[in-house]
Amino acid sequence: MSDQKTVSSGATSGSAPQDGGKKGNPFARFFRAIALFVGQVVDEMRKVVPPSRQELTSYTIVVIVFVTVVMLVVFGLDAAFTKLMFWIFAGD
Amino acid sequence: MLSAVVRAFKTPDLRKRLLFTMFIVVIFRLGSVMPSPGVSYAAVQQCRPAGGQTNQLLGLANLFSGGALLQLSIFALGIMPYITASIIVQLLTVVIPRFETLKKEGQTGQSKLTQYTRYLTIALAVLQSATFVTFARNPSQLFPGSNCQQILVDDSLFTVGLMVLTMTAGTGLIMWMGELITERGVGNGMSLLIFTSIAAGFPGSLWAIKQRDGRWDTFLLVILIGFVVIGIVVFVEQCQRRIPVQYAKRMIGRRMYGGTSTYIPLKVNQANVIPIIFASSLLAIPGLIVQFQQGNPNPPGWVQWIGAHLVRGDHPIYMAVYVVLIVFFTFFYVSITFNPEEVADNMKKYGGFIPGVRAGRPTEQYLSYVLNRITVVGAIYLALVSLIPLIALVMVDANQNFPFGGTSILIIVGVGLETVKQIESKLKQHHYEGFLR
Repeated sequence: MSDQKTVSSGATSGSAPQDGGKKGNPFARFFRAIALFVGQVVDEMRKVVPPSRQELTSYTIVVIVFVTVVMLVVFGLDAAFTKLMFWIFAGD
Repeated sequence: MLSAVVRAFKTPDLRKRLLFTMFIVVIFRLGSVMPSPGVSYAAVQQCRPAGGQTNQLLGLANLFSGGALLQLSIFALGIMPYITASIIVQLLTVVIPRFETLKKEGQTGQSKLTQYTRYLTIALAVLQSATFVTFARNPSQLFPGSNCQQILVDDSLFTVGLMVLTMTAGTGLIMWMGELITERGVGNGMSLLIFTSIAAGFPGSLWAIKQRDGRWDTFLLVILIGFVVIGIVVFVEQCQRRIPVQYAKRMIGRRMYGGTSTYIPLKVNQANVIPIIFASSLLAIPGLIVQFQQGNPNPPGWVQWIGAHLVRGDHPIYMAVYVVLIVFFTFFYVSITFNPEEVADNMKKYGGFIPGVRAGRPTEQYLSYVLNRITVVGAIYLALVSLIPLIALVMVDANQNFPFGGTSILIIVGVGLETVKQIESKLKQHHYEGFLR
């Protein structure tokens, strides 16, 4: 049902908002257009599929592990290279 | 999880790509600590303040270069010039008709644009390194609070020219390495190198927090906040609006094709981390301008204004500009990467349609209708996440260059997710199970 509605308003969305867009003074029209837009945004957000709990946890853990590993590797590399540079350029 | 890693390394193609990426990263880090010619290494190391207390103005630029900037290394400029150049070229495609036609030309036009981006990168690199080297001659501005007299061996024109040349060449090399990663490694080279740079600064700044407070609970709290933010970012990254698509059944020869129903996944945050990278590198420019004027004992009014309002991350005007830039770049980048007309055309060609919408132009309109409304939320989300940690961390009393700031955490998680997913899909070409079960 709601699907049907968005589809029809979607087809006409190229022009300005249609429902009562012509009536009233410019201010009222402006705010009505914004209200319509916000309504449409909320409508679309209802149809957004969130990730499942299991998907979310596994992705989060994998990202945390990946970031930690890269962080440690880069930190180690930096420490080693800095020592090397000291040895070469500062004779220490 | 661990077995997946082992399997990733057992797959010949993937192993090659992973090792190649690591190799480039190692070179990148080596170049980031190697001093430019004419710099006295011992002096620079003495001048560098201990424990993450860096120059406020150069904070973001230094963060993006992974600390290389303040070491005056050969990769001091990092990929900043390349990012700035690609922003400029992308923006110019809208403004200059010739660039627009090039962009529409497809493959050849695109490679022409890439070529322009590279030239512009070199030009910007010359400019930035010259600026930077100029005030490296007077190190007390570079490292406020320390009493450094001299970090260059001599400041003859030859030495300065050599440094500018070296840093420019370093930027060119980084640019090439980034493209090599994209081509022959895993993930997007440009973002992966930024990712490494930011990750390089993490342990030091974390440790600095622990040192300053001398307590473990603040430290752990900060890490906990970091994990929660990572979780939230992953959640939104995975949110999709699925637009159903039906494919008509058709007979080709004796085989039946199509008749399936799939969907076009539109991510809420379709633009990923690019808007953040663009916005924050643009906002780093005022800081550099101010830095350039710092030797001036009596700077002009506009420089003072910029220094007061556009440099420190906790000022309201800075935040407002940042939010506006992020929202702008989100829409801009989505409009560049997702072309509803092309998608609609392709669907029509292969006999697909969205139930309830006619093929062709109405489909195109419907797609851009949905995309625009979803991107509103995506843009607001990007702006919020880049601000919330800032506000939260002011409460825990950490400074703005703190590593878990919104900018760096969005980049870290975004790039991490993208890279892991790419490894995953490469792994799936050979084995079915991946990291993400």
